[in-house]
Amino acid sequence: MTAVTQPDGIVMNDVSATRNAPVDDDVRRAFVEGARAQVPMAVGVAPFGFAIGAAVGASNVPVFAGWLGAPLIMAGAAQLTAVEMLDAGAAPLMIVVSALVINARIMMYSAATAPWFRDEPMRRRLLLALPLIDQLYLVNVARFEQGDLGRRERQAHWVGGALVLCGTWVTSQTVAIFFGAGLPESFGLDLAAPLALVGLLAMSVKERPAIAAAAVAGLVAVVGVGLPFRAGVLVAAMSGVVAGLYAGDSPPKEAS
Amino acid sequence: MTAFVVIGAIGLGTYAMRASMFVLVGARPLPARLDDASRLVGPAAVAALVATMTFSHAGSIDPRPAPELVAIAVGYMAVRRTGNVVYSFVAGLPTLWVLTALMG
Repeated sequence: MTAVTQPDGIVMNDVSATRNAPVDDDVRRAFVEGARAQVPMAVGVAPFGFAIGAAVGASNVPVFAGWLGAPLIMAGAAQLTAVEMLDAGAAPLMIVVSALVINARIMMYSAATAPWFRDEPMRRRLLLALPLIDQLYLVNVARFEQGDLGRRERQAHWVGGALVLCGTWVTSQTVAIFFGAGLPESFGLDLAAPLALVGLLAMSVKERPAIAAAAVAGLVAVVGVGLPFRAGVLVAAMSGVVAGLYAGDSPPKEAS
Repeated sequence: MTAFVVIGAIGLGTYAMRASMFVLVGARPLPARLDDASRLVGPAAVAALVATMTFSHAGSIDPRPAPELVAIAVGYMAVRRTGNVVYSFVAGLPTLWVLTALMG
């Protein structure tokens, strides 16, 4: 397989150069690897899905409308906010704006993921964008950066992970909403989502710019909790990125 | 009916965000500065989400109880030490159960 380094440093393996090689095995392997990589994420996603399903079931929101949020929104914090605000009788426009502000971080994930699929036809890129969410982005981009996956393997890795993640998400909510899965509170499963995310955070903050980005974002998120339209997460994420860029520009202090 | 429209609008808007850069970036390489920034999006956004989920509830500051805060910290340290995200649960949830039992 011929490795081609793109101008922005992304290594693209030229699969066409090895058209007769057993690419299908590589693709299959990448699919399975991508699916397996999301299993630990699914362990965290399932209880979060149960919790949101239970919240939908306990609210006055029509059950089917609440359930549709699982496949259509595919983002827990925004879906939960929408259900809570619908239940509280908030203005529809305010609910939509609040949920979209919470989800605005996804646009940043989109910017970070898009270069890895830039050579795909538009229709395929539109399909690949469908499941983009925190866990899928973080796990896949970290894997892609190792530089040994070709175009088709990257897609397979992405799709394998998406099926596990989205399948778990929709199934867990469906079970909780329609079959009333009552999980004992003492299990502490509402802690599953923060635990899953904190695990991802621990994996992704290894260098100074990332540490600075995470620290500033966390601090600003707490300070910005009361911001209108729940804009705290977006403002915090943007502040963190700026801080991380600054930390990357300034030379590290020498140990004395 | 309102609920269906609201959920549908959020779904459409969220998909537009997901697809936005997949459409705009196309075959063009990202400028170097934007490429640097894109590598910081994950840590920043996830830290913001974790902080919000940990220290607030329904739009106001409301930290989780102490056992949960300790469990989250233990989960973080376990993953740092092992390099495996599963240990966030393996260490975090039992910590929560033990502390909750001890504190009544």
